[in-house]
This record gives sequence, structure tokens and C-alpha cells, in this order.
Amino acid sequence: MRHRVHLRYLCVADAIEASWQISVGGDHVTDLTESSSGIERLRETLAAVARGDSAAFETLYRSTSAKLFGVCLRILPKRSDAEEVLQEVYTTVWRKADAYDAARASPITWLVMIARNKAIDRARAATSERHAEPIDLAADVADTAPPAASVAESDNERRRLDGCLGELEPQRRRLIRTAFFEGATYDELASRSGVPLGTVKSWIRRSLLKLKACLER
Amino acid sequence: MPPEPFEPGDTAGEYVLGVLDAGERRAAAERIASDRAFASEVSAWERRLFPLTSVIASVAPPAYVWARIRAALGHDRASPARAAPASPWQRVNVWRWISAGALALAAASMVALFVGRRAPVAPTQPAPLVAIMALDNGAPAFVATIDGAQGTLVITPVTAWPDAQHVPELWLIPAGDKPHSLGVVDAAKPITVTVPVDLRSAIDPASIVAVSVEPPGGSPTGQPTGAIFAKGGISGI
Repeated sequence: MRHRVHLRYLCVADAIEASWQISVGGDHVTDLTESSSGIERLRETLAAVARGDSAAFETLYRSTSAKLFGVCLRILPKRSDAEEVLQEVYTTVWRKADAYDAARASPITWLVMIARNKAIDRARAATSERHAEPIDLAADVADTAPPAASVAESDNERRRLDGCLGELEPQRRRLIRTAFFEGATYDELASRSGVPLGTVKSWIRRSLLKLKACLER
Repeated sequence: MPPEPFEPGDTAGEYVLGVLDAGERRAAAERIASDRAFASEVSAWERRLFPLTSVIASVAPPAYVWARIRAALGHDRASPARAAPASPWQRVNVWRWISAGALALAAASMVALFVGRRAPVAPTQPAPLVAIMALDNGAPAFVATIDGAQGTLVITPVTAWPDAQHVPELWLIPAGDKPHSLGVVDAAKPITVTVPVDLRSAIDPASIVAVSVEPPGGSPTGQPTGAIFAKGGISGI
């Protein structure tokens, strides 16, 4: 089922709010953080946050927190862990917004990677709950998801990455995707898939080399 | 299956993919800070793999996460934009401490005055108690002065309530017991709360008082449903 969620917040009347819509339905996500006008607005918002503008910070939170929370929830099975990490992500963003380098990443890439890193660090903590469900290498479930509907400028990059992932053997592609989405270690991938550790390492490392070469073609 | 030849790891790629263990991640993070070439490789991998996140469904976080973020950063509605990072908001915190201290003192002296006046009538009256409920970062958020004899408690907010869609609810948590609601309190001004008779014995330094973030009207379950916004112990003045 596909439905549209209009995110509206009482406190912030802002151009981003007014135009902001996220459609959520299964794996479909359309968001404006990746359209060229969205990137530009987000960049301006982030620059304002770096100057200590707390209204801009709220705008940033309202327009990006659902995406970042989704990223954290995939890595951390325990919801309260994901909530704590999300809090940590935004307090870091408030303090480090001036470290954002537009030459290196789009604003949403920068934010998502902060969320991923903090979520993975949390997942590595001894007290955290971890994904333990078996990885069935015969079922390439994730890859049967329909392509994301998007107005994004980054559609091309996505298609290229999908194309390059498509050149990998299905079992290796599945391990790469599970590693990325869940932040699983080599050890976890090996025990969950039943593939020997050395083979998992070799597959992933070869796949990374292939991906890099393919994307740079 | 024949053994695969050894593949040297692309540490930047492995770091971004998320397969490194805790120690390897720490080492990689340190290298990002000190090795510009490595940091660039990490950025390149982040750009390469980022499009994968497009299939991750967005999930709106619960409202109390925003409340906690504002609380952790010491933001409130009245605070002006930060002029420069770090120091001004630290100053804000200092002011908050001072105002909370002053408020606690003022409240304490009011209680002392009140108790003093009543002393001849009730000579065995217990000493007044105070509870300063603090945020996770130690900054005070609510101050309660407690009149154990009357079973009343004056609760004063000393920081802005960060979430207009939710209300603060006060809880008394006796040692080893579950939280007992003392009702919804005012986010903006002091109010007096009467502690139910059967809970008055729990007004002692072994108990904790806390404020949680609840839907309008208070917790529908009788137990906290939102985050604990602030908490503190009970002590003598």
C-alpha cells in the first residue's frame, strides 16, 4: 500500500516545510533532500545552523530526522537505541555544522553518514542488541524491491550503483547490501550466512574493488 | 570451493560499508582525523554508497526525541541565536544554573518562612525538603519544594519546556517501586501539587522525583509513556 505523509509542523513556517513531502510506501521514498533545489536549501539551512541559528536547526531536524531515523532503525533493532543515537546525531550536527564541507558531500549524504557511523558505533557496543537473523543467500530479497520513485537529481548515481551491484554475483551482492543496511561485521555476516569467515572477507573485499572500478568507468 | 587468493582490504571502503569491528573502526576514525588522503577515500566511498540509502523507508521519530535534543543543547524558545559556537551556550547554562540556584533558594526560604510561622502550632513538623530535577546534562529543569506535613509540593519550571505538543507529568518513584503519578504540571509557572495520602510516606531521600514527556492530559496508562525529561533526588534544605 502506498500512502502520502504530509509532514507539517506548527512551530516552523518555512519554505522547506511548505514544499516538504515524503511519500512512504514499502521501499518507496520520494524526498526532496536529494533534488537540486532541496540540496541547495539544505545547504543554506546547514550554513545557518553553523552560525548558531536555532530556528534553522529546527528546520533541519524537521526535514531530515525521518530519513536519519530510518537509517538508524535498520542498523539498531532496538528502537530506544535508535532514538538515543538520533539524539546524539543532532547534538553533534549542532556543534559540528561548521565542519560540513560542501566540496566533499551533499548535505544529506553528510547527515546520513553521521547517523550511520553513530549507529554502527552503538551497534558495536557490548550492551547493544544485534541483528542475529540468518542471512539466506539463496533469496535475493532486497534486490526484488521496486526501484525508488524519486524526483532526485541523484537518480543517475543510484542507477549507476544499482547497475554495478547487478554485476556482482547474487550471493556477494546480498552480503554487501546486508553489511551496508545493518552495519554487520565480517564475523556476523559469516555466522549469519553460514559462509566461512575467510570467504566472506574475500567476497566483500573483491566486491568493493569491483564496485569501485565499475563506478569509476 | 578453491580457496580465494588473499585480497588486501580497502579499509576506507570497509569502514563505510560497516564491516569493521569496534577496534578497527576506532583506528579508522583516528586515521580520518590525521590522514587527509584516507579521509578523501572515505568521502569518496560515502558518495559511492550513499544512493543505497534511497530504499530505506523514512520513519518519523517520536516527538520526545526533539524535546531531548533541545534539552541536551540547552535551547529554549527565548534564547537568541548563538553568536559563536560553544562558549555562549555554555554561558546560557551558567545562567540557568544561577537562576535555578536562586529559585531553589527563594523557594526554600519561602518554605522556611512558612514552616517557621507554623512552628508554634506544629512543633514536630518535619524539615522541608527540596528536589532539583535535572536534565541528562546536569542542568536543572524543575525545582520542587516539599512540605511533607501538608503533603504538598510546589513545582517550579526553571527551563523552557521544549515540546508544545506534549505536557510535563510529575512522578514520585519510591525506592524499589514503580513511578506514581502526581499529575500533569505546568510547563511555564509554579503550581502546587497535593501528594495522595498513601504516597506521603514515600516523600523521603530514598525516593526520586521525575518529569516525563506525555500527551496532553497526561499518561494514558498510569505509567510514564514518554521520555524522562528530568529527574532528581529529594533532600533536606
